[in-house]
Parts: sequence; structure tokens; C-alpha cells
Amino acid sequence: MSSFCDRRSLGQAVAIVLFGCVVGLGVNHHVLTVAPPTPVAPPTVTAPAVPYPLPVTLPEVRELLAAGALAVDARPRALFNLGHLPMSRSIPFEEFVTLPQRLAGLLPADRPLLIYCSGFGCRDSFDLAQLLIAAGYRDVRVFEDGFPAWRDAGLPVATGETR
Amino acid sequence: MTGLRWLNLSARLLLGGVFLWAGVVKALDPLSFARSVAGYQLLPQLGNLLVAAALPWVEIVVGTLLVAGRLVRPAALVAAWLNLLFMAAIVSVLARGLNVDCGCFGHDRATPPELALLRDLLLLAAALWLLYRPSPSSTA
Repeated sequence: MSSFCDRRSLGQAVAIVLFGCVVGLGVNHHVLTVAPPTPVAPPTVTAPAVPYPLPVTLPEVRELLAAGALAVDARPRALFNLGHLPMSRSIPFEEFVTLPQRLAGLLPADRPLLIYCSGFGCRDSFDLAQLLIAAGYRDVRVFEDGFPAWRDAGLPVATGETR
Repeated sequence: MTGLRWLNLSARLLLGGVFLWAGVVKALDPLSFARSVAGYQLLPQLGNLLVAAALPWVEIVVGTLLVAGRLVRPAALVAAWLNLLFMAAIVSVLARGLNVDCGCFGHDRATPPELALLRDLLLLAAALWLLYRPSPSSTA
């Protein structure tokens, strides 16, 4: 364990970390001062067809589902089977990204589609939404807080392979 | 002796090269990296941004020192600790069954966490070799 206790190396190691942090924070201070991009102008239930996936929040998701929207789960099938929004369809982004032509006609064209995955750090919902729009779906929205927010709000969760 | 020197050189270039590459890729797009960090669900939002701002540059400094052969022992020490940290983060992700983008080399959905863990283990071995190799006096 000599090197982990070697005071000189330890001191230099701390200096390396500090130097890197100072440079990084100096270069990126703008990243810290700008707020993360948050959706503005919440869409109404009767929003017209949009060419861009609109972000929706949990209360809007509940409202839209009650009004006949279809929830679409973009996560891998294994995660879908462990738990998903009731009545949602499993369209794993990783499977369809190579076969986007299969998306056409797969989902009802007359219902708003609410795409979700595992929350803020996960892009599959947004990427799938763009594939769906490219495939001709007109009302595609992204539930950015995703499955964790739904589950943590204590809302019902379905399990198993219900497609 | 030449064999040992080759081993030292390869460990240095492998570890340094990977850190330098990983650092540069992430430093070019800090916001994207912040999203990846957020995916691990370990830190508050400001923490994610701080890590995204600072970590790539620490990696760049460590990688540059290792490739240049300067301050090799302290740089390898930082690399070893960082790799332990990365591995702990990946293990926690696996334990919680999260579906994350590794973020190790920028936005990279292709790398499964198990592979990232193996990669970190290899890098950790290289760092430990640099720390505990024979004849520590020849660091330059």
C-alpha cells in the first residue's frame, strides 16, 4: 500500500484533481449558470398535430390518457415486463431503430401517442418519438420524467408481457 | 528489463490514451454528459452539472500526464481512484436495474454496463501496475 500512503504522490494527485476541476469549471461555468432546458407552453389535450415531439408532464399524461391517448414504452422489453404504465404498448427503441419502417401502421394514427422511458437521463423516448414522427404519426409527445415518475407517484403499474 | 519497460510504456499509453480520449469527447459536449450522469440517478441536478463540468477535464489532465510520462505515479493514483468510482457507479446502476447510457465516452447507448465494468477493471489493472511496478524511481 506504499503508493496510496506516499504523501508526495498523494499531494500531487490532489493537485491534479484540483487543477482539472478548476479548468473544467472555468471552461464550463456557462453550463452551471444556465438552467437545464425545461419545456415551456404546456400543450392542451386538444393540441393540433405537431411535427415535433412535445414534452408533457405527469398531470398532463394522466389527462391525456383519460382522453384516449396511448402510452408507448420505449425501454427494452425486459424492463417493460418488470413494470409499465397500464394499457401501454412496448415499442423498444433499440429494436425499432434498425427497422423504423415497421413503425408505420403499427400504432393507431388517430390517438395521441405518449412516449416514455426511464426518465431524465434516458433519450430513448425522444429518439423513438422522432422515428414515429418520421413514420407519419402526427401527435407524438414525450413524457420526459418517464416511468420512475409514474411509479413514484404511486400510480398503478402493470407487469408482464401485455405487448 | 526491456520487457518491463515495454509493459510500463503500454500501461501508460493505454491508460493515458483512454482517459484523454474519454475526457476530450465529454468536454466537447458537457450538457450531453450531464444527461448521462443524471441517468445514474445518484446526484442532485447541480451535482450532475458539476460532475459534467469538471470530470472530463480531470480526465484530460490525467491522460495528458500519463501519455507525456510526467507525474506518472500521482496521475495513476487519480486514475485508479476514478476507476473505482466509475465501477461503484456502474455496480449501483446494475443493482438498481436502471436502463442507463454509460456516458463513458460521451453519448453511447451501445455499451452495456457489464462491458463498461470489464473495461474499467482493465484500466484499474493498468493503473495499479503503474503504482506498484518494480523500480518506482524511473517514473519519467
